[in-house]
Amino acid sequence: MTTIPLPVVKTDAQISPDWVRISGASAIALRFQSGRFSRDFDFGGINLLLNYDDGCKSDCSYCGLARTRPGTYEDKSFIRVDWPLVRTDDLVDRMAKQADRLTRLCISMVTNPFAYRDTCEITERIRAKVKTPLSILVAPPTLNRRKLEHFAEIGVDMIGIGLDAVTEELFRTHRTDVPAGGAGLSWEKYWSIVYDARDIFGPWKVNCHTLVGLGESDRDMVDTFLRLRDRQIFSYLFCFNPEPDSRLGSYPKSPITRWRRIQLAKHLVETEGFGSEQFGFDDEGALVRVSGPASIVQQAVESGVPFMTDGCPGEEGEPGCTRPYGSYRPSESYRDFPFRPTPDDTQQIRAEMALDDVFEPVG
Amino acid sequence: MTLTERVKGYELRLDLSYDPASDLWVDTSGCTDASGSPGSGVVVIGLDPLGAETSGTLAQLSLAAPGAEVRRGGPLGSLEAEKFVGPLLAPLSGTLVEVNSEALAQPAKVHHDPYGTWLVKLRPSDLGADLDTLVRGEATVREWFESRVDDYRRQGVLAE
Repeated sequence: MTTIPLPVVKTDAQISPDWVRISGASAIALRFQSGRFSRDFDFGGINLLLNYDDGCKSDCSYCGLARTRPGTYEDKSFIRVDWPLVRTDDLVDRMAKQADRLTRLCISMVTNPFAYRDTCEITERIRAKVKTPLSILVAPPTLNRRKLEHFAEIGVDMIGIGLDAVTEELFRTHRTDVPAGGAGLSWEKYWSIVYDARDIFGPWKVNCHTLVGLGESDRDMVDTFLRLRDRQIFSYLFCFNPEPDSRLGSYPKSPITRWRRIQLAKHLVETEGFGSEQFGFDDEGALVRVSGPASIVQQAVESGVPFMTDGCPGEEGEPGCTRPYGSYRPSESYRDFPFRPTPDDTQQIRAEMALDDVFEPVG
Repeated sequence: MTLTERVKGYELRLDLSYDPASDLWVDTSGCTDASGSPGSGVVVIGLDPLGAETSGTLAQLSLAAPGAEVRRGGPLGSLEAEKFVGPLLAPLSGTLVEVNSEALAQPAKVHHDPYGTWLVKLRPSDLGADLDTLVRGEATVREWFESRVDDYRRQGVLAE
């Protein structure tokens, strides 16, 4: 008889599904942790992260949870901040008590053999007591089409895929051909999960995380926005923020001007229907021209919406997952705003974006 | 003499003075006489327990340099935590004589031990007038602190 050794799980271990990590902002909002935000705004997007003693099997160059990043999984930060560990049932009870303040819940999977099973278990515990819309940021190597269908059956309404690297070459460099091995992360697998999720969950119910600052060009970003938009899939922009001690720990952030222009370009593609012909690039793929009706572009900038955090919406379409200070320090400019930018903010955004250098009004 | 009491879950030094506007404690024992009247000398200033708790674990701390003249209510420095950045406002006017390099190097210590990790030492320029703006005296400090905890609880910034 052949036996297959199973991973040993300590019964007293503080691991999922009975324990989860939550973002620092979520911990403050639910009063697991004292704290306040620099500016006063409503916050109701609760982010959960699966927790295992042996952590995430992936080794992505930019990620705080990467296997070869120094430190134990317990001590590792994710998007630069600590994620407090809480008992799942306590979390669900607190969310149920404060349900009227919550806008969106999201479970982030990690690449781990138990991730799918535990995500289902946590989803069911949440769904039994809390009706707030629930997304899952999936770990594609742990999934297939049937498992995605099951997520829909148990009450998940949106799926996120952390593609992060927007070209195949960059994906391979940062996520597949990595020191600890790629753990099944491949460009093809990620896109197959994107398309399966789109089939199952429907238009504008799937999002792809696209990270600005891994070495891609502006043209690569805009091509990705168009590819996703044409399939009614959201692109959620994230700004690379070097995680100390990660392999990209000393890699620079994108300049704020580039970041703002990409935010605007994404909005114009996704919301205003701009096509590839409305963007021009130099030989290196840097954005040098945006052309379109001045009224549309100026109104977009004035609204502040392109510069708000990309995240799954609340029940009524309002901003749901807003991740305050997720990719910048509180002392830095808001890379994405967890609230509608004020007129003062918009003035600063305009200065940072220097749009006149690339904008060509048409019509 | 140090006089500490547990008030609404926090270790509170009742022998210190507090500035309600800046979340800072002030130890005036080095420049007041036995009756509490102002004299010459240096005061020690630090972040009070509620200021430390509601800011979150500090990631960055900056303080004015020794020799700087500060005015009550004016900038003394700034602190930055994971989700918060804010100014430190001087509770007294005067001249900075020393800053705590340990606090600057390891700001998280301020969060974990706000009384043990002072921030600056300052030679007051008008202690007599400034003392009147501080919360002082055991009973007054206790009552003020209790009401402040209640306020912060209402604002939802304290863990429960």
